[in-house]
Amino acid sequence: MLLIRCPYCEEDRPEVEFVYGGEAHIARPLDPAALSDQDWEHYLYIRRNPRGRHHERWRHTHGCGRFFNAVRDTVSDRFEQTYKAGEARR
Amino acid sequence: MSDAIAIPPLAVAGTDLALESNAVLPGGVTLTLEPPASRWSLRARTAEALGAVIGRAVPTRIGETLDGIACLGPDEWLADPPAGTVVPDGAGQPVSVVDVSARGVVIRVEGASAARVLCSGCPLDLERFAVGRATRTVFETVEVIVWREQADMFRVFVWRSFAPWLWHALKAVQLG
Ligand SMILES: [Zn+2]
Repeated sequence: MLLIRCPYCEEDRPEVEFVYGGEAHIARPLDPAALSDQDWEHYLYIRRNPRGRHHERWRHTHGCGRFFNAVRDTVSDRFEQTYKAGEARR
Repeated sequence: MSDAIAIPPLAVAGTDLALESNAVLPGGVTLTLEPPASRWSLRARTAEALGAVIGRAVPTRIGETLDGIACLGPDEWLADPPAGTVVPDGAGQPVSVVDVSARGVVIRVEGASAARVLCSGCPLDLERFAVGRATRTVFETVEVIVWREQADMFRVFVWRSFAPWLWHALKAVQLG
């Protein structure tokens, strides 16, 4: 069983309590109408999909309910660290 | 001609769910369906803001409980106070007080092997879960709130539509 550290609960919790939320730190454009179709497509669909270190969102759905960010290695599936939503990229 | 729609009382009773009120597992652990009670979901930015509105101290750390109130998240609490406790509605204040009495039922799991019975479907290590702690988690695929009242007694809060399944799943637990 994979354990994930929730930065709000401040403890390691079982993976089944969490839901994956996609790549982290993607800011929604402040004025979507000003974007070209290509820029809008990029915002909506284009992701880095790296091999290795990946910044991603998780939600402790069946726990405290909070979204937070994690750095996970996409090759080893190892969680390097987790931190609260709104904190700077690590 | 219109038929009057009967509105049931808010709190859910086991009889509404066609469940018996208690059961004894082979290992001696007993399951008891608690009678209907009033419960509230409380939301506020801080424990201080919430405490000021409801006029009593609330726990500040996730997982802690205090006088019938459990802190479930950074801005979420579950109030399961003694019968007759008056909870202010918080009108006009930056808090949310929602009556969730009809949302679910509580199953008491009691006995020396109570933690082991719950661990058959819950991924947390409940043997090491401190008395007085409460948390949202899962039993198999069903979301529950587990509240350890005593070393050998857990209260399991579950939404009403999941309650019959959970009741029968707990009844079927076989400790190896
Ligand atoms: Zn959490």
